[in-house]
Amino acid sequence: MSAYPSIEQQYKKYPKTWVQFIIYAVAAFLVVAIWNYTVEFEGYTERGFSIIGIALKGLVTPSWAVISDLSSSGLLYMLFETFAIGFLGTIFGTILAIPLAFISSRNIAPRFVNLVCLTVITVIRSFPSVMYGIMFVKTVGPGAFAGVLTMTIGSVGMLAKLLVESVEDIDPGIVEALDAAGCNGFEKVRYGIMPQLSSGIISNVLYRLDINVKNASVLGLVGAGGIGAQLIFAIQDRRWSDAGAMLWGLVILVLLIEVISTRIRNALAGKD
Amino acid sequence: MLEDLLQIFYPRTYTLGNGKTVREKFNPLPYVVIAFIVFIIFCANFTGVNFKVLMEKGHNFFDMLYKMIPPNWGYWKTMQKAMLDTINMSLLGSVFGCLIALPVSFYLSSNFKLNKTYLVSHRFVLSLLRTLPTLVLASFLRMVLGIGALAGTLAISVFSYTICVKMMYEYIETIDMGAYEALQSTGASRLKCIISAVWPQVKGYFYSTFLYCFESNVKSAAILGYVGAGGIGLNISGQLTLRKYGNLGMVLLAMMVTIMVLEAAARYARRKLVTG
Repeated sequence: MSAYPSIEQQYKKYPKTWVQFIIYAVAAFLVVAIWNYTVEFEGYTERGFSIIGIALKGLVTPSWAVISDLSSSGLLYMLFETFAIGFLGTIFGTILAIPLAFISSRNIAPRFVNLVCLTVITVIRSFPSVMYGIMFVKTVGPGAFAGVLTMTIGSVGMLAKLLVESVEDIDPGIVEALDAAGCNGFEKVRYGIMPQLSSGIISNVLYRLDINVKNASVLGLVGAGGIGAQLIFAIQDRRWSDAGAMLWGLVILVLLIEVISTRIRNALAGKD
Repeated sequence: MLEDLLQIFYPRTYTLGNGKTVREKFNPLPYVVIAFIVFIIFCANFTGVNFKVLMEKGHNFFDMLYKMIPPNWGYWKTMQKAMLDTINMSLLGSVFGCLIALPVSFYLSSNFKLNKTYLVSHRFVLSLLRTLPTLVLASFLRMVLGIGALAGTLAISVFSYTICVKMMYEYIETIDMGAYEALQSTGASRLKCIISAVWPQVKGYFYSTFLYCFESNVKSAAILGYVGAGGIGLNISGQLTLRKYGNLGMVLLAMMVTIMVLEAAARYARRKLVTG
C-alpha cells in the first residue's frame, strides 16, 4: 500500500497552476496598460484605408519601366548594389571577427583580454545598424562604401559573439595529438583547429549574409547606398507601381539568398 | 617548384608499374577560390570600396564619438517619452505578434496533417512577408494609419508574427507525437490533445522565441522614427541634423543601457523559463 501513493497524495503533488495564472494575468494587465499609455490613434484618417486598395493595385502591377531600366537608377543596378553591400560587409566582418573571437575566448587569451574584448563586442552589438550608417555617411561621405562599412561593423558584433562559443568548444586533445605526432604550427592549425571550426563559421557567416542583405535594403534611407532610399521615397510619394517593382525585386533577392544559404547550412549540418 | 604550383590547378597523372596511367581526382576548390576572390574585387569596385579614403577620413568617426563623450544629461527629460515608446512598441508588437503566431504555428506544422493547400499557401505568403524589413512595412503602414506609434507597433507585430510562426512550426515538426497519439486514442478532442500533449513540449521554445523577438525588435524599433512611425528614431535624426552631439550621445547611451539590460534580463528569463 505504502509503495504507491494514493490518488489524493498524487493530486497534492500536482504543480500549482494558479501561480502561473496570476503571472499571466498580471502580464496581460501590464500589456493593456502600456497599450493605453503609448498608442494613440491621433494620426488616423478615413482616407488611410482607401490607400490600401490603391497600394495593393500598384503592388500587383509593378512598373516595367523601373524593372527594365538598366542604368544606375534601375532596379537591377540597385538590387546588385544592395547585394554587394551585404556580401562585402559579411566578408570584411568575417575577416575582422575571426581574430577578435580568438582573443576573446577563455581557452586562448588571458581573462583580462577576454573581458575587454567581450565588452567591446557587446557595445558594438547594442546599436542598431542604421546608427552606424549615419556615422559612416558622415565619415566617408554618402554612397555604397558607407553601407559596406556599416554592414562590416554590424557583422563583427554578431559573428564574433557566435564564434566565441565555437572557439571555446575546441577540443584540445586533437591539437595535443598532432603535437605528439610532430606537426608544426601551421599543420596543427590546418588539421587540428580548422576542421573543428569551419562548419560553424560557414553556417554563421551564411546566416549573417541573409541578415545583411536584408539590412542593406534599409541603409539607403540614411544615404548609404542600396535600394532603400528609392523604395521608401516611392512609398512616401505614393508611386505604388514603382514601389511594387522594387518590393518584388527585393523579395526575390532575399528569398533566393535565404533558400541557397539554408540549403548549404543544412548540407553542412549533415541533414538531407 | 613552379611545376608543383601549377599542379594545384590540374590533376596529376601517374604511370603505374603495369603501364597503366591513372589521373588524380579533379579538385575544383582552387577555381572556386579564385572565382570568389574575383567576385569580391568586382563587388568592391562596384560599391566604391576605398581603404585610402577610410584611412584619411577614419578619424572623423572617432571625432564624432569624442564629441558625444560628455553626454548632455539634461536631454533625458526631453527624450524619455520617446525612449519608453520605443520599448513599449517593441514589447507590444512582440506580444501581439507571438500570441497570434502561437495557434497559427500549430496549424502550419505538417505533423497534424491538416489542409495541405492552406499550409503551403500560408507558408509562402509568410516567407514573402518575412523578407520585408520592418522599416519598409512601417513606412507603408504609416501611410495608412498616420504618423504615430500605432504604425510602428503594427509593423513590429507583423514582423514578430512571421519570425515566430516560422521558428515555432519548424520546432513543432520535430517533437515527439507519441503523447499526442495516445491522447487521441482516448477520444480527446484535437484542442485538448494539443494543450496537454504538445504545448508542454514546445512551451520553453516559445518563451525563448518570444524573448528573441523582443530583443531584436527593440533594435529595429529604434529606427522606425525615421519614417514617422514613433519611437526614438526621430530624436536621433533630429539631433544629428542640428549637430547637437551631446544630445546624440545621451540617446546612444540610453539605447546601449536599455539593450544591455534587456539582453541580460532575457538571458536570465530564458534560463529560468526554458529549463525550469
